[in-house]
This record gives sequence, C-alpha cells and structure tokens, in this order.
Amino acid sequence: MKTMQMLKVVLVVLFLFGGLVGCAKTPPVSAVEDQAKVAQSDMSQQEEAKGVDDKSMQGEAVPSHEAMAGMQRIYFDFDQFTLSDEARSILAENAKYLQTMNDVQVVIEGHCDERGSDEYNLALGESRALAAKSYLVSLGISSSRLSVISYGEEKPLVNASNEDAWAQNRRAEFKAVK
Amino acid sequence: MLLRCFMVFLISLALPWSSLAATQIEISAPGEQSIPLALTTFLPDKGPQSEKISGEFNEVLLADLDLSGLFRFVAPKAFLDDAERIGLFSTQVNFPQWRLLGAETLIKGTYALEGEKLIVEARLFDVVNRRLLTGRRYVGEAKDVRRMAHAFADQVLKELTGEEGPFSARIAYISNQSGHSELWLMDVDGHRPIRLTNHRSIVLNPDFSPHGKELLFTSYRANNPDLYRKEIYSGKEAKLSYKPGLNVAGRMAPSEREIALTLSKDGNPEIYLLDTSGRIRKRITDSWGIDSDPSWSPDGNRLAFISNRQGNPHVFITDIFTGRTTRLTTKGKYNATPAWGPKGDRIAFTRQEGGRFDIYTINTDGTDERRLTFGTGNSEHPRWSPDGRFLIYSSDKGGKRGIYVMRSDGTGSRRLTTLESDSRHPAWSPRW
Repeated sequence: MKTMQMLKVVLVVLFLFGGLVGCAKTPPVSAVEDQAKVAQSDMSQQEEAKGVDDKSMQGEAVPSHEAMAGMQRIYFDFDQFTLSDEARSILAENAKYLQTMNDVQVVIEGHCDERGSDEYNLALGESRALAAKSYLVSLGISSSRLSVISYGEEKPLVNASNEDAWAQNRRAEFKAVK
Repeated sequence: MLLRCFMVFLISLALPWSSLAATQIEISAPGEQSIPLALTTFLPDKGPQSEKISGEFNEVLLADLDLSGLFRFVAPKAFLDDAERIGLFSTQVNFPQWRLLGAETLIKGTYALEGEKLIVEARLFDVVNRRLLTGRRYVGEAKDVRRMAHAFADQVLKELTGEEGPFSARIAYISNQSGHSELWLMDVDGHRPIRLTNHRSIVLNPDFSPHGKELLFTSYRANNPDLYRKEIYSGKEAKLSYKPGLNVAGRMAPSEREIALTLSKDGNPEIYLLDTSGRIRKRITDSWGIDSDPSWSPDGNRLAFISNRQGNPHVFITDIFTGRTTRLTTKGKYNATPAWGPKGDRIAFTRQEGGRFDIYTINTDGTDERRLTFGTGNSEHPRWSPDGRFLIYSSDKGGKRGIYVMRSDGTGSRRLTTLESDSRHPAWSPRW
C-alpha cells in the first residue's frame, strides 16, 4: 500500500504589505462647519474621542463642498425621511436665503446615524436629501440649482454612540458648489 | 500603492494512507459532540530549535480548532514522554500513553528551519484505532508559519467531518485605521492586516467574487458612490458602475456573469442586475420604497434583499427569473443585512429589538428563526464562512466597533480586530 507518494502542489500567493500605511497623518480638521450650538457639542465629543477614532478626518478628506453660512441643517427621526414641522420651517428659511443668492448651486447631503445596514442607510440618506430637495423646489427654488448625495452613516457630525449623537447625525446638510 | 506580491509555494505531500481514512466521525452540529484531542507542540527535526515557529504554529492551530467547537483539548501539562518524541509513523507513536490521558485524536509534528526556509510535517492520528488519519508537509518560509497552521486546521476538519475548514481564507473589511475608510484584508484570525485601497475618500461594502479573485466595493473617490471592482492578485482596479446617485451593495452572482446592486439613478433605490462590463441587464425590484442590500442564493436563482415597501425595513426574497417575491421576516420593526448561507438553507440577518441590533438566522421559508447574539451593544452585518460553520460580523459591544467571529449557532464569539480603529463590514472570502 505504501508504494507511491502522490505529489500535490498547493499554490498560494501571498500578499505582503511593504512599508506599512505610511501616509502622513493629516491634521484632524473639525467637522464643525457652522451652527454654534451643534458645533459646541461636537467639539466636546471630539475631545472625548481624541486620538482614538477620529471619523471627522474622513469628512475632511472627501473633496467636499463648502458649508453655506445662511443655510441650516435639518434633522430626522430614526429610519424616517419625512420632514418635521421644524424641518419645514428651516427649509423655508433656507429657501428665502437661496432666493437672495441666485447664482449659487447647492448640494444637499443626506446622512444617517450609525445603526442599521450600511446599504440601507445609503438609500435612506438619499431619501432624506431628496425630501429636502423637493420641498425646496415646492418653495420655488429651481431644481437645476439643487443636487443630492447620500453619505449614509459615513460622515457623522458627532462621533459617538448615544441617542444624542445619533439624533444630530440623522440630518441633511446644504453645501455650496464651487 | 505600497503593495507587493510574493509568491510562496506550499507543497503538501498527501500521504498515501490518508486517502484511505474514509471513516469519519459523525458530527451533526458544532458543540454537540466534542472529540478529545491532544495537540502537541511541534518538535525540531533538523536545524535549530525555534520556539517562535513551534509556538506560533501551535497557537494558530489551537485557536482554529477551538473555534470549530469540535474538540475538547487534553491539558498539555498532563502530556507524557511521547509528546517529546519525534517519531511520526504510527508504529512509532505510543498510543496507549495517549489513551491513558483520554485522548481519542492526536496531533504531532516536526519542523525544520534552515535560514528562512521552513518545512513543517504535521500528522493527525486516531488514538483509538492507532492509525494515521491525515498528514501534510508544508514547504515555505518562516514567515509562512501561520498559513501552514491554518492550512492544517482546514485539513483536520476535512478529515474528521468531510468538509474542509475555512481558515485559509481571508476577511475583507473596512477600516479607518489610515485616517480614511479603506478596504483591508486580513487572515481569519485577524492577523496580518493589509490595506488594499488608497482612495483617501470613503470606501464601502466590500464583497468577494465567488471564486475569491476579485472584490467589489463602493467608493466616493469621484464624489459619487460608484461601484468598483478590484483584482486581488494584480491590484488592478476599475470603475464598474457610476450612474448618478447610488451605485452600492454590489454582489457578484455565483456564476460570476452578473452583478446585483442598488442603483438610484431614477430617484428611488432599486435592485438591478449588471453584466460584468457594467451594463444594466435587468431591473429586479420596482417599489415606491427603498430596495437594497441583495444577497444571492447559492444556486443563483434568488436574491434576498431589504425593502421598506410595506412600511418598515424587512427581508424579502425574490426569484430573479419569475419575479415572484415573498416577505421573509415578520417580526420586529427593522430587519436588515440579509446574508444567504452557503448551504442554501439559512439566511442570517440583523434585527433591531429594544433599541439594539442583534444577529439572527432563519430558514429560507421563514421557519426556525433563532437569535444568535445577546448582551450589550449592536451586532450587525453577518456574513458566512464558505463552509457555513461560522459567521463574521461587526459589533460595538466593546464600546467601539470591531470585527467578531462566532459559530453559526451563536457560540464561541471572539473579537478579531483591535479597538484602536473602527473596523466593520466584514466579508469572508471563498477558499483560496
């Protein structure tokens, strides 16, 4: 029985990582753009999370659009994209502002909190941005000035895992396109 | 890209008598029966002694076999002098000695280290019947010792259960370790992480092609969530779908001829099938709500996906040929992330209950739903190992999000990634 040895060749290709992730650390730039009230709590959250897991760096990295001083964020309930009364009144203010700035193009960013499926949240973020867009259009803003992008749960405003942080992260933001 | 490729040939000599070991120990479910195993530390055959080599091989093999849940380990402290003897032929092993310790199976082996060259001989014995069950000879370099141990763990499971282990595969995942969300790859025990992308943007949703040679993922590199494909060996990367709006949740069909994904080009997220050049072949869903996150059945005939078409997000199953669609989950208000198991019979998913997400599995006909995770934190995004024995998932139960593995019955959970950075969205590769 022990006559022959069968030779079986298993070929394994190994990836090795030469010179590890040597990308120079970009200085963490705060995700805070406007809105003093939100900005303050954001800062405090960042203090807590300092040096551990600074997602706001991601925000800085994406070649993004500038926040508009005159346009306020709106917030949403968990797994919802319907506009609250408060969100509607903020959008009405935003519309007034846009009417004074006729040459400005706006990107509406939809965001979610970190819970739930990434893939579903990308869709939900888009629904939020689209809800904001169609309300602005109904208030007379030309849809050609408005585009949407969803970031799902990828760009939290507040980098923490609690109800307060999640509530602030479920939002739509309005950015000027250069 | 700082990736370099090395080719390593692991030559395994399948010993002639290993093919005769047809008698398999009957095991119906992990944890149901445990085999007493004595795992000895491998001894130096020729060349210098290296506790690093023997220690690392032993540690990797022990961790893999322990995760399998099939074994009860005989305490090494109780080992007698046969553990110190090199002889690897069944005639040389003192089986009565191992029997005395209650072992029914025994792993012995040797290594020879010459400079960087490493040869490992590993043997699995049936102590009761005093015979060799399987043996492997691995030839490589000292740095390959972990791969050799994983390969032998796969072989041990194959010999004892008839189904090879999944330990030589890899885990793809998203980590922000470099400061951006990028695509990473690591061993199934969390070791040897390497970064695959350098988009310096946001990279998301990785998934392996069924043969494991490619990864699909979404990236915001071009300021829109576009779908990319990447060849793992060559590092070659191409944009596959870049329509306005979402191009996310790309999943290659078992045939590798089609890709299911979510597009929102018409303003509402729907699931489509693309051909491999990125052209739309078929639209799968058509509802007012969100449809996303498709997962292929192993036969490629059906897709599980999430939809909120009836109000809350639930898991649905659709037949891609007939279009017949049924709702799978009925409980809870938020069910997501379906992952169709490789045996075809069960689907893993997450459900939010009491404000937290946990992982469940369910039969494809909606029966026999089981909750697998309990306790604090959110456990999300389950994916199966290629043999269906394990689930990999992300959880923030440690306060920060990391990647965990557990048996498919929910036992044996352990964390694979450090908590220094955020790691999530794991996918287990097919066998390589």
